[in-house]
Formats: sequence, C-alpha cells, structure tokens
Amino acid sequence: MSSTRAPGVSLRRLRQHGTTAVFILPAVLTLAVLLLYPFFYGIYISFFRTNLVNKWKYVGLDNYVRAFTDPTMYASLLVTLKFTVFVVLGHFVLGIGLALLLNKEIRGRTFFRAVLVLPWLFPEVVVANLWKFIFNATSGLFNSALMAVGLLSEPMSWLGSVDYALGCVIFVCIWKGYPLVMIQILAGLQSISHDLYEAAIIDGANRRQSFRYVTLPGLRPTLIVTLILDTVWWFKHVTMIWMLTNGGPGSVTNTISIEIYKQAFEYQNQYGYSAALAVIVFLICVVIGVLQRKVLTRDE
Amino acid sequence: MTNKKNTGTYLVLSLCSLVILLPIIYMLSTSLKSISEILTAPKATLFPEQVTLEGYRNVMNKYPFFTYVKNSVYVVSVSTLVAVAFSTLAGYGFSRFRFAGRGMLLMFILITQMFPSVMLYVPYYKLLATWGLSNSHTGLILVYIANVIPFCTWMMYGFFNSISRELDEAAMIDGCGRLHTFFRIVMPLTLPGLISTTIYAFIQGWNEYMFAMIFTNSDTLRTLPVAIGQMSKSYSVYWNDLMAASTLSSLPLLVLFLFLQKYFISNMTGGAVKG
Repeated sequence: MSSTRAPGVSLRRLRQHGTTAVFILPAVLTLAVLLLYPFFYGIYISFFRTNLVNKWKYVGLDNYVRAFTDPTMYASLLVTLKFTVFVVLGHFVLGIGLALLLNKEIRGRTFFRAVLVLPWLFPEVVVANLWKFIFNATSGLFNSALMAVGLLSEPMSWLGSVDYALGCVIFVCIWKGYPLVMIQILAGLQSISHDLYEAAIIDGANRRQSFRYVTLPGLRPTLIVTLILDTVWWFKHVTMIWMLTNGGPGSVTNTISIEIYKQAFEYQNQYGYSAALAVIVFLICVVIGVLQRKVLTRDE
Repeated sequence: MTNKKNTGTYLVLSLCSLVILLPIIYMLSTSLKSISEILTAPKATLFPEQVTLEGYRNVMNKYPFFTYVKNSVYVVSVSTLVAVAFSTLAGYGFSRFRFAGRGMLLMFILITQMFPSVMLYVPYYKLLATWGLSNSHTGLILVYIANVIPFCTWMMYGFFNSISRELDEAAMIDGCGRLHTFFRIVMPLTLPGLISTTIYAFIQGWNEYMFAMIFTNSDTLRTLPVAIGQMSKSYSVYWNDLMAASTLSSLPLLVLFLFLQKYFISNMTGGAVKG
C-alpha cells in the first residue's frame, strides 16, 4: 500500500511476464526439446558416417557431396516433383470444384458433404491397402471392371507396371487428400459475408463477375495458406507410397522421402547420408513455401 | 435455367460420391467374404456370394487385436490431451499478450510445418534410444505431442483471435484475474474451436503409421495402423482379415464424425488467414 510507484510497476510487469510464461512456455519448451533439438541433431548427424551406436566418423560435407553427385537423388527428386504437382493439382481442382457445388443451397447437401469428406477419415494404411487390393493383378476389382466393359483383355499388375504405377499412386493420394482442401475452401467460402454478394448484385454484377470480384478475393487468403501447406505436406509424404509400391517397380515411385527412409532403415549404416538428404528436403520445402507466398501475395 | 444447373451439380456430386463410396463398399464386402471365395473367384465381385464373419473372427482370434486397440487408444488419447492443452494455452498467449520474440516464435511454429517427418526419423530413433524410450509408448507419445502442437497452436491462435479482446478487458476490469478470465470467460466461447482442434489431433494420431512403425517393434506395443501394415506385408495376405481389421480401425473416426460433423468442417487455417 505504502510502496512507491516504481517497484509497483515493475512488480506488475513481472507478474505480467509470469502469466505470459504460464501460457506460452509449455508448448514452446516441448517444441524446443522434442522438435527443434532433434531437428538440429539431424543436421549434426548429416556430417557423420555412423551406425548411431559406437561408430561416429566425422566426414564434413561428404554426405552432401555424395547426394549432389548421385543420379539417384536427382531421379527421386524428379519423381517427387511430378508426384507433388499432380497430387496438389488434383486436390485443388476437386477441392475448389466440390466446395463451390457444396456451397450451393441444394437438397441433399449434408449427405454429399458427409460422403465426400469420408476419405479423410480413413487411416492412410487402410486407404493404401484397399487400393492395393483393388489394383491387384489376379483378382483386383479394377481389372475385373475394365475387362467387363471390354477395355482390357488380360488382367495386369497396375502397381507393378513401369508405365502406370506412379499414376496409380498419384490417383490414390488425390483420393485420400482432397477432402482437407475441400473443407478448408468450404469454410473459407462460408466466411465471406452475404452483404458483399448483395452489394455486388445491386451494383449490377452477374454471377461470373461476383465470383471474380467477391468470391475469389475473399477466398484468396485461405487458398494461399492451404496451397502452401498441402504442397509441403505431400512433398514429404511417405506412408501411402511406401505401402503401395515400396518406391518400385524399379525406382518409378521412389520419391526423395522414400529414399531417405530406405537409406536409414533398409541399408547398412547410411544414417548420415539419410540425414543429409533430409536436410536437403527441408530446405526445398522452405523454398517452396517462401516462393509460393511471394508469388501469391505479390500484388497485395 | 436454375433447374438445368442443379442437374449438373447433382451429376458431378453423385459421380464423385460413387468414386468415394465404391471402394469403401468393396472394403466392407471383402471383410464379409471367406478367404476361399476371394482367392478362387475368377473375377472380383462387388458383393459377397456368401456373407461370413470369418474375417472378423480371425482378427479377434489370430491376432492380439484388443491389445492393438488398447495401445492406439492409450497413445492417441494421452498425446491428444497434452498437445491440445498446451496448444490452447499457447494459442491464447500468442493472441492476447505482446512480448519480445512473439513474432519469431509464431514464425517458428509455422516453419515447423516444413519439417519433413522423414527428417526426424533418424534423430528421434537415436534420441529415444539415448533417453531409454525406444520401443515404448512413452516415446511415441512424446513424438506425437511434439508433431501435432504446432498446427494445433496455429488453429487455436486463429480461434482466439476471432474473439474480441474487449471481452477479456471487460472481465478483468470486473476483477477477474488472467487465468480466471481465460478459463471461465474466453475458453467456453472457443469450445467449437477446441473441439475441432481436438478432432484434428486425434485423427493425426489415430492414423499415424511411420513413427509408430519405426519406434515400436514388439508386437504387444503395436498400434492399429502398424498392426494392419504388418498384416499386409506378410507373405500371403488374408485380404478378408485385413479388410475386417481395416473396417474396425476406421470405425471410431466414422462414429465421431457422425456425431460431431459440424466441428469437422471448420476453418483450420483461420489463424494464418486472420493472423
């Protein structure tokens, strides 16, 4: 009560700091110990040739040099690029299209929305196995269906085919992943105020114009964030490719992430090289994110 | 005019729904076929000739299926609970307090989305061994918590931002402390957001495969996705067992979706959009 003003202020400030810490620190400390530290530890490992137990040989940038001179790396980067571009393109074409349709006031909307969200709810392992079964060579539904309508005369192994494996994997990943994009865009569409559309109509805008001048600008922030996240998520995707093809046949579906997994856990003592490849993938992901943000927010 | 347009809408929606539903129906029907029907039929049929529960019986008898379920429930519940609690606190903190390094921390949280999980396989593998946590649920729980916090924090940050700060100020002028304001006044208002975030974290954990596969190797510690993955990697695959196990492990999320539908369709990236 009788204290002077200055200590009172600093006490309040101290208390303020304390409260901030209570809210922020649990998450920040967890991330520091369990995400940031392992991340830097991974970078550290990338400078060694090691079995992670007792052999640690510092090799400097050797792992990186090896990565950049290895044709396998470039081949798998190319596969990853094709995979990501087509998967994300598929997600956005379906996601935007279906979200616009589901945003209309039509009967049965709830039903269609529920059905179209389904793939998101199934575990990746389940989805991958299901499609593996459908595409399988001997008694697969896909073969049977194509043969029934006369498009195919002999059953074939779709996931074992050099020509079709990547296409099939891309299809399955589009099937599994578009609902998340659709949901985001649907939520974005619903957050656009009706007043804006009314104002556009009063100003004499037709449907196409109100889409161009109200919907698209309103959707823009959602589109940008979703695009960046979706691209990065699928660029580093492993599970379904691994379940469907193990990166084969040959190396047709061998994305860089699959290569990283194989180097670490299928080959002997390649942990350091695997870590170096992982660092390269991280840098590419950051560049993709920054570039997309730059390009997409250029004229704002 | 409008009628014609709606026909097109229904056509597209129905066609897409068919592409979604057919495989799922096929999964259900395969789980109800006998293995001999699957292997001997000259071509695949959409419906079983004879409905049998053979697959489901096998799943219960041949595998410690309930152990897998228990493992999944335990790992995912604990990690979701902790991650959502931490993320809610942090989301509120970032939304309401201005402090040194705030921008940097928010940036960091966004950048962690760029961490490829493949990048963490090797370091986690080594660190968990060092901490005596390899092949344990605790290790897996820690990994899940850390990997889901960034996105959950980002979601909660967005939800808190959409609630007016004036509400907090009013409550505090009325004599509520910061914690009281948070728990009693602001949190109840973000309940829908909180549920969406919890659902997101739960789905992530329930469906996660690679971490669980790499960091646990004894059969009794396996989670459902790893168990299913194992079934499909064996030399001769029992497709009916596999589809029965797949159906059972997908059920919890479907039921959850049925009851909490509106929370699934919410704007997860609100934080980034409004931030």
